Amino acid sequence: MPLETPARIVSELASRGYNAEREAVTRIADAPDPAATLDRALETVPDDALKLTTDHVDSVIEATETARSDPKAESGSTPASQADAAASADHDPSVSTGTTPGSSAVEGGTVPHETEGSRDVDTSLRAIEVANDMTGQSTGTGEYSDFVTVFRDRYEKLASKLRGRVNHRPTDAIESMAGGSEAALIGMVSDIRSTASGHWLVELEDTNGTFPCLVMKDRPIADLVQQLLMDEVIAVEGTLADDAGILFVDSLHFPDVPRTHKPSTADRHVQAALISDVHVGSQEFMEDAWRRFTDWLHTPEAEHVEYLLIAGDMVEGVGVYPEQDKELDIIDIYDQYEAFSEYLKEVPGDMEIRMIPGNHDAVRLAEPQPGFDEELRDIMTAHDAQVHSNPALITVEGVTVLMYHGVSLDEVIAELPDEEANYDEPHKAMYQLLKKRHVAPQYGGHTRLAPEDRDYLVMEEVPDVFHTGHVHKIGWGEYHNVLALNSGCWQAQTDFQKSVNIDPDAGFAPILDLDTLDMTVRKFT
Amino acid sequence: MREADERYFETLESQLEDAFDVAERAKQRGGDPKPEVEIPTARDMADRVENILGIEGVAERVRELEGQMSREEAALELVDDFVEGTVGDYDSREGKVEGAVRTAVALLTEGVVAAPIEGIDRVELLENDDGTEFINVYYAGPIRSAGGTAQALSVLVADYARALLGIDQYKARDDEIGRYAEEVDLYDKDTGLQYSPKEKETKFIAEHMPIMLDGEATGDEEVSGYRDLERVDSNSPRGGMCLVLAEGIALKAPKIQRYTRNLDEIDWPWLQDLIDGTIGESETEADDEGSEDASGDGDEADDEGDDADGDEESDDVPGPPRVDPAKKYLRDLIAGRPVFSHPSKAGGFRLRYGRARNHGFATAGVHPATMHLVDDFLATGTQIKTERPGKAAGVVPVDTIEGPTVRLANGEVRRIDDAEEALEVRNGVEKIIDLGEYLVNYGEFVENNHPLAPASYTVEWWSQDLDAAGADVQAMRDSPRIDLDDPSADEALEWATEYDAPLHPKYTYLWHDVSVEQVGALADAVEDSHIAQADGAYADPEAEDRAGDAHTDDGALVFPRTDAVQETLEHLLVEHTQDDDTVTVTDWVPLVRTLGFSRSLERDWTFADLSERARTYGESESVDAIGVSEDAEPEDGQNAVEAINEVAPFEVRERAPTRIGNRMGRPEKSERRDLSPAVHTLSPIGEAGGAQRDVAKATKHADDMSDTPGRVEVEIARRRCRDCGTETHHACCPDCGTTADPVYVCPDCESEVEPDESGRAECPRCETLASPTQYKELDLRAAYRNALESVGERETAFDTLKAVKGLTSGEKAPEPMEKGILRAKHDVSAFKDGTVRYDMTDLPVTAVRPAELDVTADRLRALGYDEDIHGDPLTHDDQLVELKVQDIVLSDGAAEHMLQTARFVDDLLKQYYGLERFYEFDDREDLVGELVFGMAPHTSAATVGRVVGFTSAAVGYAHPYFHAAKRRNCDGDEDCVMLLMDGLLNFSRKFLPDKRGGRMDAPLVMSSRIDPSEIDDEAHNMDIMATYPREFYEATRELKDPTEVEDVMKIAEETLGTDREYTEFMHTHDTTNIAAGPDLSAYKTLGSMEDKMDAQLEISRKLRAVVESDVAERIIEYHFLPDLIGNLRAFSRQEVRCLDCGESFRRAPLTGDCRECGGRVNLTVHEGSVNKYIDTAIRVAEEFGARDYTKQRLEVLEQSIESVFEDDHNKQSGIADFM
Repeated sequence: MPLETPARIVSELASRGYNAEREAVTRIADAPDPAATLDRALETVPDDALKLTTDHVDSVIEATETARSDPKAESGSTPASQADAAASADHDPSVSTGTTPGSSAVEGGTVPHETEGSRDVDTSLRAIEVANDMTGQSTGTGEYSDFVTVFRDRYEKLASKLRGRVNHRPTDAIESMAGGSEAALIGMVSDIRSTASGHWLVELEDTNGTFPCLVMKDRPIADLVQQLLMDEVIAVEGTLADDAGILFVDSLHFPDVPRTHKPSTADRHVQAALISDVHVGSQEFMEDAWRRFTDWLHTPEAEHVEYLLIAGDMVEGVGVYPEQDKELDIIDIYDQYEAFSEYLKEVPGDMEIRMIPGNHDAVRLAEPQPGFDEELRDIMTAHDAQVHSNPALITVEGVTVLMYHGVSLDEVIAELPDEEANYDEPHKAMYQLLKKRHVAPQYGGHTRLAPEDRDYLVMEEVPDVFHTGHVHKIGWGEYHNVLALNSGCWQAQTDFQKSVNIDPDAGFAPILDLDTLDMTVRKFT
Repeated sequence: MREADERYFETLESQLEDAFDVAERAKQRGGDPKPEVEIPTARDMADRVENILGIEGVAERVRELEGQMSREEAALELVDDFVEGTVGDYDSREGKVEGAVRTAVALLTEGVVAAPIEGIDRVELLENDDGTEFINVYYAGPIRSAGGTAQALSVLVADYARALLGIDQYKARDDEIGRYAEEVDLYDKDTGLQYSPKEKETKFIAEHMPIMLDGEATGDEEVSGYRDLERVDSNSPRGGMCLVLAEGIALKAPKIQRYTRNLDEIDWPWLQDLIDGTIGESETEADDEGSEDASGDGDEADDEGDDADGDEESDDVPGPPRVDPAKKYLRDLIAGRPVFSHPSKAGGFRLRYGRARNHGFATAGVHPATMHLVDDFLATGTQIKTERPGKAAGVVPVDTIEGPTVRLANGEVRRIDDAEEALEVRNGVEKIIDLGEYLVNYGEFVENNHPLAPASYTVEWWSQDLDAAGADVQAMRDSPRIDLDDPSADEALEWATEYDAPLHPKYTYLWHDVSVEQVGALADAVEDSHIAQADGAYADPEAEDRAGDAHTDDGALVFPRTDAVQETLEHLLVEHTQDDDTVTVTDWVPLVRTLGFSRSLERDWTFADLSERARTYGESESVDAIGVSEDAEPEDGQNAVEAINEVAPFEVRERAPTRIGNRMGRPEKSERRDLSPAVHTLSPIGEAGGAQRDVAKATKHADDMSDTPGRVEVEIARRRCRDCGTETHHACCPDCGTTADPVYVCPDCESEVEPDESGRAECPRCETLASPTQYKELDLRAAYRNALESVGERETAFDTLKAVKGLTSGEKAPEPMEKGILRAKHDVSAFKDGTVRYDMTDLPVTAVRPAELDVTADRLRALGYDEDIHGDPLTHDDQLVELKVQDIVLSDGAAEHMLQTARFVDDLLKQYYGLERFYEFDDREDLVGELVFGMAPHTSAATVGRVVGFTSAAVGYAHPYFHAAKRRNCDGDEDCVMLLMDGLLNFSRKFLPDKRGGRMDAPLVMSSRIDPSEIDDEAHNMDIMATYPREFYEATRELKDPTEVEDVMKIAEETLGTDREYTEFMHTHDTTNIAAGPDLSAYKTLGSMEDKMDAQLEISRKLRAVVESDVAERIIEYHFLPDLIGNLRAFSRQEVRCLDCGESFRRAPLTGDCRECGGRVNLTVHEGSVNKYIDTAIRVAEEFGARDYTKQRLEVLEQSIESVFEDDHNKQSGIADFM
């Protein structure tokens, strides 16, 4: 970020009709983000003051720094500049996560204070489409055949992403191939074991049967085995053993997001707030922070925020864990949704609200989770908020946002090595899901599956934005030009979180520019 | 020891010897794995220790040391012997340590439990990072049965041996320390520990432990950090190690310290830090409390606050002494097992102190009428989970305590003191206002270290008060005209006034259960009432009064009926009748006198006269332990006893200040023990016999047409005849009858290997373990035919002969099929060790009547019962005699089963071994005087007992010392009996499974006589007095610690080592019949789970002390919801299984068919198992008023289930769709 020179600061001040103490200018110039600091200083300067004092600037910087003390979340209007090593390597400037230094300054500075509170929105410019919503389309009846169908669908969909890359031979065909020949196979991971000598034995399954594949521990691809989850679909190439009983793997491919992926953007300057895990009804729900957020939405600064996307856990729910009633502020589940609906009313009436359920909401836990039933929808008619299934693909003015609550993140974080996925960098776990093109690959463990006539959890289409919540940590970054965002929550640290030393990121609202896919995280605590 | 006792034991032992001789002769003739009886007799603990361990010389040394020092010190002393090699034959250093550790554990567990052999796998010498050596002790799960102290001392002993051998200390690596912490925590979460050490405690211990604690993985869960450590084999928690570290070292640190101080060679200075650090212990408890109950009441009643009198603990509201309610026992309430009383709630069981003759040792005395009135849910031996003093107790019938009080459908309130009456009125009972008394003996409080709870005011106490007040109670007791227990109202009033003593309990009502306001209202009602003569005429009270004391009929007091007055009378437990307009109390004089009225119903006080203290006495108890509020506005003055004492002309005591909550635990048990499916013979037949393992079917089975039927390949013993060298799988050579020895063959090079002394056979070339088994094709047809022929039986003699699929023992020695044929003939089945067993719930009894045991006085005299408990000669069947320590009472079912077993044994001797029949019983009376083995799970020693009679209760009554010798108490525990000769003939170690815990529950040794000093010391805490002194009762009102009154009390411990150690077990309460009440709990007679639950809810409606909505709530919360949630979760992550070959898969195969056999695959969790309870749960929630929260949880679940199992497109929203 280029340094602002004191001269430019002084001229900027002058253009707005302010004078300043010399030391105050130095302080602003030395601040991590001089433009923002300047804005903030001017916003908060007393009405009758003409001269910016050092004390005043100090107090502004201090406040900003407190907010910055969270290592990942930039406070206030400070542009997000999360540079992910992997993502930034082949950075496409048009979808940069960082904004140009001046942009927010311009935004903050050009809007006169007097216009606060009024929104002048042309809703006819809006366009929103929803795909992959299975609400009301649940056809599974819990038969064995439903399970077979859903896994076959997964295999077919994901295998089609890999077919172009390897010359797939069905497992039964490979069995009859001559020993020592080259072979490739696309399969669903059905077992991963380490052999006595430390090599990896990965059993792959297709619609014809299974075939064992051996990954030698000293090969570079052995690291990829660490990233494998059960029931994801991968392709391998290699050489058959002499007796053709096993495949020695030379290369391993994930369905993945193509590196050439170019995200779409909106045709106009419009923004969306991407939040999650509101947890209304919990004693820890941060009403004040929520109020500051909704108040802010009414300010001119937020006039372009026309969409609100919520990735689940609208309410705290009932019976989610034992003796939950003792930690509930609102014990009645319907009252919780009533209250949530009331909080939603604080959002400007013209905003378009879309949400999906999470594991605390009053729908089935097994994924995919359908949107709410009529009774709950009726409660929330006030704002005409729409509830789609979890997951759902929502295209907002051309930008496709894959909304998924994120229960599988727990499993990804538990199963994969720390450097690949951890709670402090939830977006890294999301990269893994993007790579696997599936929001919850592993069956039989933490994540629950309700079998439907197709696998709604597959990412058939590459989204432009992947939005999750659930882990109550904020984190974002780019993976092959896809913006992966885990929004934080609106629930302060619970006793349980305290006991296991989880410090949630609460009271943040990531704001996404739909025309540039630039993201800004605002803090409201 | 008294001569009589000596004679008794000699009788038992000579009887045992006779049987032993017969069995030895039989064994030499038959085809058993060993040609001798395999249960060695141990006369004392030293013998048992030696026999269980199999280390020679231990017994002798133990006996030497026993007289000089404590058992713990002896264990340490023995370490020297092992190290020097004077005991045990170990060459290696690790062997010496191992021997010493095992011996120590065996000694500390009295050589009864299996922990020393099963709980310690091995001891190893490993290397520290600095090159020095250290000791690693490898524990296994069964170390649990040793208990914390023995576990902790095992480590100390290992360290002492280490020090003596000059081996270095273990220096834990950092990752190992972290591993200990993570692992103990994981184990605690997964399995649960009695004490959960904090992470820093575990780390601290791990860091300083001079011995490495290691062990076998016992769980499937894995640690997430600290995996794949070099010196730790597994990533799963090692249960044995976790137990030793947490429940041993961490919990018993102070005990270990006592011994480390005496040893120069070892020094564990860090223990002090641990002990001081365990101040955290109380914090942990406080944490627990906080999390599980927000209402703030204590979990355990031993909070310090209890010691404070009510006056101090509450700010300014004076109150009576009370123990705090505890609700822990309500946890995990199970559908179908009713709650009898919520914590300390009025209307629940009233605590009475004393010990009945069938009581003590973790039991609770309940009136038989109560058992019937709770719809037979309680029977003799039913376990109850209780509020205090322990956690659980076995129910015993005691009819010398007060029974329940009920309101009948006609409005009558009546106390029922008779089981017959209870049965008569049961259908008309509308409400059970009071459950009656609950007898608990002093020893229970000692054992549980529970502060004494205020005693009910009972005759035992009152008579001592009267005596202290100056009355000649002895003379009154001797007077034929006076019944101290049941005086007339006039007598009671006279005594109270004449001696200035408290009013007799019979006329002392439960004033503490009503408020001062209610008393005021009752007094007002008395003023409005009148006295009716029996003929209905009005009486002239003035005239009566003038007539003096001579009135025999006071008539009845008739109140105008109001609900409030009626309820007050109910809560006071005043018996009465009522109609729409009136409430009538007979025997009313003590009531109105207590209320400060004269006989002519005049009073000289008004409500305003009451002192401030009296009016506000007793905090509101309207919010009870479970948070249920009865009154909208709780007020002070909930206890009227002070007010009553101000208005009554005599002292009135608190009648029943302590109420004890409880619920049903598990039902009593009296059942034969059958493996599943039942097994008649331990011979292998593979899969050929089908799921039933039917031998006859197996002889006809052939895999395909070309196979000869009845030929099956099984893994079986490989043996060779000593003389003629014939190869066989039998124990004896089929050709010459000589013993055949196992032959070990190396699986790799197929050469024969000689086992070493310890029985290990390792191939010297391949270094693999050689195996004593072979795969062999058996001709079942011939074997079956030969066996039938050899015992001269035909196939028609029995229904089905069931064998086993394969053998689980190491050598896979089969049992002769002949034994199975005879078992099948007599319908008995074999346990894994070859014995026939019968399980019964344990209950104690110290004195019996011949009549109740269905034996005659003559028969008992023949067994050495010469005198009754008063020293009179035993002549009548209803005289009470003191039970001898090894005599036991069989349940009817057990007697029947023992008879069958005896017939089997007789046939076995005659038809198989070719000897004379041994028992020759005609009917069950013949069983009296016969010897049996008593044997508890988790132990490895049987105790010899003698049958003295029978009971219709489904329990095994025996002397508490007999149960303690088996290491059982009577809180619902159960164990088994075996017929002596069956055990001697059929038990073999060679049948025992070759896996962890295989030697548990097997009679590796038997104790022929009980030494009271060598049994579980819990039994020593039982009190053995005929009356409790007045000081005791008074101490209870001060909530004193039980040890504070030990000087005035007498517990069994006091007679240990004296002549009286086998006798004079006195009791304070008699009971007419030890099998009174229902024979079986309703839990066992009701059919489906739903029936049981309906009955449970029904009874909760009737009981005043039970909040039915709480019961419903708990059933839903702890039974239905977990079931529904669990099954729904299981559904969405289930495995699938092949219907044809049984192979299971983590996920449905993409082919849809079985990967193994191509067969049909199906789900393992179906819709039916997910939603089976949802409708019932919703119904119960509605009907019994569960909270909205609970109802909504059910609603959400119902919708979730629907969402998973219903096709949205097929949903019919209503009939309108079709119109």
